[in-house]
Amino acid sequence: MILQQLVNGLSLGAVYAVFAVGFTLVFGVLNVLNLSQGAVFMWGAYVGLEAVRTLQLPLPAAMAVAVVAAGILGVVTEWLVFRPLQRRGAHRWMGMVGSLALARILIGAAQEVFGTQVVRYPDSALIDATIVIGAARFQGLQVVAFGVALAMVLALGILLKFTNFGRAIRTVAFDETVARLVGVPVGRVRVVTFFISGALAGGAGGLWSLLFQSVSPFMGDTILLKGLTVLILGGLGNVVGALVGGLLLGLVEVGSIVAVGSGFRDAVGFGLVLLILLTRPTGLFATREAKRA
Amino acid sequence: MPPARLSRRQAIALSAAVALAPGTSLGQAGAGKVAKIGLVQSTTGGSAALYGTEQKQAIELAFDEINDARTLGDITLRALHADDGADRGQTVNIFQRLIRQDKVVAILGPSLSNSAFAADPLAEQAGIPVVASSNTAPNLTKIGNFIFRTSVPEDQVFPTVLAYAVKKHGVKRVALVYGLDDALTRGAHDVQRKAVQDLGLEPVGIESYQRGDVDFSAQLTKIKAQKPDAIILGALAEEAAAILRQAKQLGFDEKVVFVGCNANISAKLFELAGPAANGILVGAAWFAGYDHPKSKAFVEAYRKRYGSTPDIYAAQGYDAAYLIAEAIRRADTVTDGRAVRDKLAGIQDFEGVLGRFGWSAERDATVTPKVLIGDGQAKVFVAAPAV
Amino acid sequence: MSEFYYTYENVIDLCLLNAVLAFGCLLLLGVNLLSLATGGLMAVGAYLSIWLTMQERWPFGPALLAATLAGALAAAGLGALVLRLRGDYFAMATLAFTEVVRILALNWDPVTGGALGVFGIPKYTETWQLLLLLALVVYFVWALRRSALGDRMRAIAEDELAVTASGHDVARVKLALFTASGAIAGLGGALAAHLNSFVAPGDFGFLRSMDAVIAPVLGGVWNLLGAAIGAIILTALPEVLRFSAQLREVLIGAVTLLAILFLPTGIASLPRLLVRGRIAQ
Repeated sequence: MILQQLVNGLSLGAVYAVFAVGFTLVFGVLNVLNLSQGAVFMWGAYVGLEAVRTLQLPLPAAMAVAVVAAGILGVVTEWLVFRPLQRRGAHRWMGMVGSLALARILIGAAQEVFGTQVVRYPDSALIDATIVIGAARFQGLQVVAFGVALAMVLALGILLKFTNFGRAIRTVAFDETVARLVGVPVGRVRVVTFFISGALAGGAGGLWSLLFQSVSPFMGDTILLKGLTVLILGGLGNVVGALVGGLLLGLVEVGSIVAVGSGFRDAVGFGLVLLILLTRPTGLFATREAKRA
Repeated sequence: MPPARLSRRQAIALSAAVALAPGTSLGQAGAGKVAKIGLVQSTTGGSAALYGTEQKQAIELAFDEINDARTLGDITLRALHADDGADRGQTVNIFQRLIRQDKVVAILGPSLSNSAFAADPLAEQAGIPVVASSNTAPNLTKIGNFIFRTSVPEDQVFPTVLAYAVKKHGVKRVALVYGLDDALTRGAHDVQRKAVQDLGLEPVGIESYQRGDVDFSAQLTKIKAQKPDAIILGALAEEAAAILRQAKQLGFDEKVVFVGCNANISAKLFELAGPAANGILVGAAWFAGYDHPKSKAFVEAYRKRYGSTPDIYAAQGYDAAYLIAEAIRRADTVTDGRAVRDKLAGIQDFEGVLGRFGWSAERDATVTPKVLIGDGQAKVFVAAPAV
Repeated sequence: MSEFYYTYENVIDLCLLNAVLAFGCLLLLGVNLLSLATGGLMAVGAYLSIWLTMQERWPFGPALLAATLAGALAAAGLGALVLRLRGDYFAMATLAFTEVVRILALNWDPVTGGALGVFGIPKYTETWQLLLLLALVVYFVWALRRSALGDRMRAIAEDELAVTASGHDVARVKLALFTASGAIAGLGGALAAHLNSFVAPGDFGFLRSMDAVIAPVLGGVWNLLGAAIGAIILTALPEVLRFSAQLREVLIGAVTLLAILFLPTGIASLPRLLVRGRIAQ
């Protein structure tokens, strides 16, 4: 049973991690919470689903379409909300409220286009395989999703760590003024960051809807709260922290159902956030972040 | 012209007129009197919108049928729909406006029990009858004499279906799963837990989840280790579907029986769960395959107009519409809510979509519970075979 | 006018109530703190006053007072723990508080009824009470801003380190403000509970807290009436846009977004902008 719960927790946590990594990346670069991330996640899920249902694309192609579409939506967020606000030097709260308003528009639009009912992928599009190891049962899909999630985060890590563009992103994250001085194209970095962040949200939406067979206009609300939790666990703007924090939250949720009782699951998650903040005021993996917040 | 055939722009203009122009008389369409009836159903705001839309559609269908057939003589029924977005504050706002400005003679709705607890007292005070068709919370009609419901409370059907499961499958050990933060699922759970106790079954696990959850594997894994004979669900249709599907993936014994609640009687359950919905038992006042002339006619008319199969809330809404129409006919008034209420309370032999229908002393619906079983291949509920 | 009030009594009550709550958040925004504790603190006030009026048969007045004190006390306790957190970490800690309170309320059946809620709560809250309270809160904020403390608040918002360096106790100012905002939230919770005869734990979650903090940002943090204007617009908008049916959500979002983008100092600045525009023409 413990092995099975480990599988349950990790596959849930992997999706949290992908979502939170995109979330934290924007925070790292812009020092602002983009609260439309949950709605982008939802649109990613719908685009993937429609690509399969109406365009009849094979699953991997549909996922790619979803990721790109969500990335573009991320760029739209930057262009529509954050860029004008930053240009006029608005307070960061404006960005939070503005992105939340955009989320409301996106959710309302999804309701209008897709209806309010929960929908899922057609059976023909799914990999229907169960792998049994000892007492634990994996879905083929779970394994694939976990692999894809890790691959996405790893690719981002490589981009950030080893490419020139990654260095540019990190420079902007460190200090925008410094970045401008050393000739980093700050505007372009921001656009690319939002694209990656949106793409990760869309990828998370695709994985989520495949794993749990559930797509609805309101699916972004829950993950937004989870994402915020992971963001704090991992430290704002910390990509590795978000990855570890996501997996940790998945395990903590499953663990609290096993040990404390399912009625208190979310209280355990948020209680953990409080506890961590009280002992480590800038998250579990705080490094250079103390100055940012 | 029935509302459904209005163009979108006309419909918006019409509802704008209703919303913005105080005191405009809407009664010029028909020659005679117009009975204005508030139709408070959520068409936005999460899962409530699902049930709200079904009821709204069924009620509008019923009103059009009644008006076309001139059942009420010179009285025409007019539905004033308002969406509360599943937000209780808005429900109260709407009730207040419908009662005080639009002067409705009755209200059908609201979609959610929680909204009803907040808004119904206004109608009670004003002497306007309210007929709910999806409120299942216990004690709802204790708000007062003007509050009725055609939605069958869970405690009228669940004990029957659980007793069936015990007799048919020899169920002894049960686990219960329910939605913690939803009044409907929580209300169902309370009834289920009591029924388990009354039948002397052994509860081996009680697990909950929250709205928006789609992963139930941790709860199910925990339950699986307890080896229950049956799993009892206090869950909305989409949640029940996910639970059934994930239980299958986790390799539950084929012999484990799933027993659902009222909210699961929906085509959505089969769409989302697929073959995993095979064999789920529910107790219900109604199902789409119910062999009754009125019910068959309703299902056909609904399918023809909306292109989908009505769920139980649509059926209950449809009966609520016909009941209020009958009360208005008997009272022969379009303004006197008290007279309509008295006539409504007097209806005891109504033959509706739900079958023979009457009110209990608490103004709840009394119908014969039917035990249904899910047929995953045909994607419908059918009457369960006798024991 | 009375006809209008008669029809829209509840809308007006909700506008006033939300305006009061918005001022609670405004106090904190003034020192750069974004608090999402409103929902949790409201729950404390709401459940305490329900219990006092329904079980202990207290009159409404003392129950309101108790709820106010409980809100203040809870805020003081929470503040002592989390006020040292900075920026978004503080916001998240207060959100965690609100969510933990909500989950506890969902599980604490004897007092809260779980998700089924408490119904049949006597309706004691009257429009005049809300109006009076709003006037008091506005006066309080006005007086505060003109006081020495108000100057210090502005200084903290500008540069917290400098204020600390000049020997002022920033932590005490913040704790006092957080306690005051807790009192407002506790009182607001009690008034909300006795307005619509029913409460459930879902009333006091993330969304409620978010609405309370969006209102002042939308209305304008530095305008005295900004918070009230923001709250009234957010509350009345769903009713005003009722004609748009399914598109309502989109329109509400769009109006909010446009205000954020084109009214840098909040909606409260709109009349002045319009006047200036006319003069320019």
